Amino acid sequence: MVNDRGQLFTIEGVAASMIMLFTTYLVLGATTVYTPGDSHISDMQLEQIGSDALKMMNTPSNCTSTSCVSQLQAIVNESDFTPAGQNQALIDFNTTFLNYVNNRTGSMSDNLHYTANITFRDYTDAANPNSTGSYILAFNRNLTGVEHPVRVTEWVLIGPPNFPQGIVLPRNSGYQPQPRAVLVEVLLWRD
Amino acid sequence: MAGLSDDAQWIVMMGFVVSLSFFFLALLLNQSTVVGQTTAESVLDFPKNDIHDVRSVMIQSAELLNATTNPISVSQYQRIQNDIQTLSLSEKKAVVQYQIINTNPVWLSIHYNNGVTSYNETWVSP
Repeated sequence: MVNDRGQLFTIEGVAASMIMLFTTYLVLGATTVYTPGDSHISDMQLEQIGSDALKMMNTPSNCTSTSCVSQLQAIVNESDFTPAGQNQALIDFNTTFLNYVNNRTGSMSDNLHYTANITFRDYTDAANPNSTGSYILAFNRNLTGVEHPVRVTEWVLIGPPNFPQGIVLPRNSGYQPQPRAVLVEVLLWRD
Repeated sequence: MAGLSDDAQWIVMMGFVVSLSFFFLALLLNQSTVVGQTTAESVLDFPKNDIHDVRSVMIQSAELLNATTNPISVSQYQRIQNDIQTLSLSEKKAVVQYQIINTNPVWLSIHYNNGVTSYNETWVSP
């Protein structure tokens, strides 16, 4: 005797599988949950981009027999002379750094922002020879507190004999006398 | 099985199969998020760029001290050394030390320790 109970099971199976597929499609397609753990991935990429850019800026492009000055060394040195020099340093750093980090294949540029500081050992504080001071080198956007920046740093050696011209030591900077090692710190974020 | 229906056996077995497949899918989904995170975390934890950077500035200063033309003085070299050690500790939270153990060719012993990763090297000038 032939009965038709199997048909009901088959129809139910097909319907159930459709429902499951549809649910999966909705769940996966509707939203991507950006967990705090995932931010590590973009942090890692940002950190790499930032340090690469700083390293490129701190590599001398044309050395002569008497001097070998990288662009970053020149900018840091320039930043401590006068207000005009600081302004020029800001412009130079801003142009080069943004050019390096925001360039992408194709016409759309990336949207990274930064603030850059210089930290030095404060030589003027005789009572506490290991204290540090810092000042702002350049920035293209203020940190408001909602960003999630990564920090990249680059050591820079400044002062003679890297610089052939006699250096007029800056006004009240904590990093005379030269040569000195200072740390350029950049906070970098994407929005 | 005189007259007894065995439909329930199918229902129970299918229930098992479906729940196991759901469990498997959930496991896959769960693992896929962790994979990227642990990789990125371990890359971030390892101070590759810091070591590169501090190592290169140490070598630069040792080369300036031993330059054939226009070298820096020992006190200038020590000042740079002091800068690097102080700023590393206060800004990068890493203890670094380096000293020249031979001058011609330059042998430089380099130590870096940030509490998690420690790096030691004897660099010889090419």
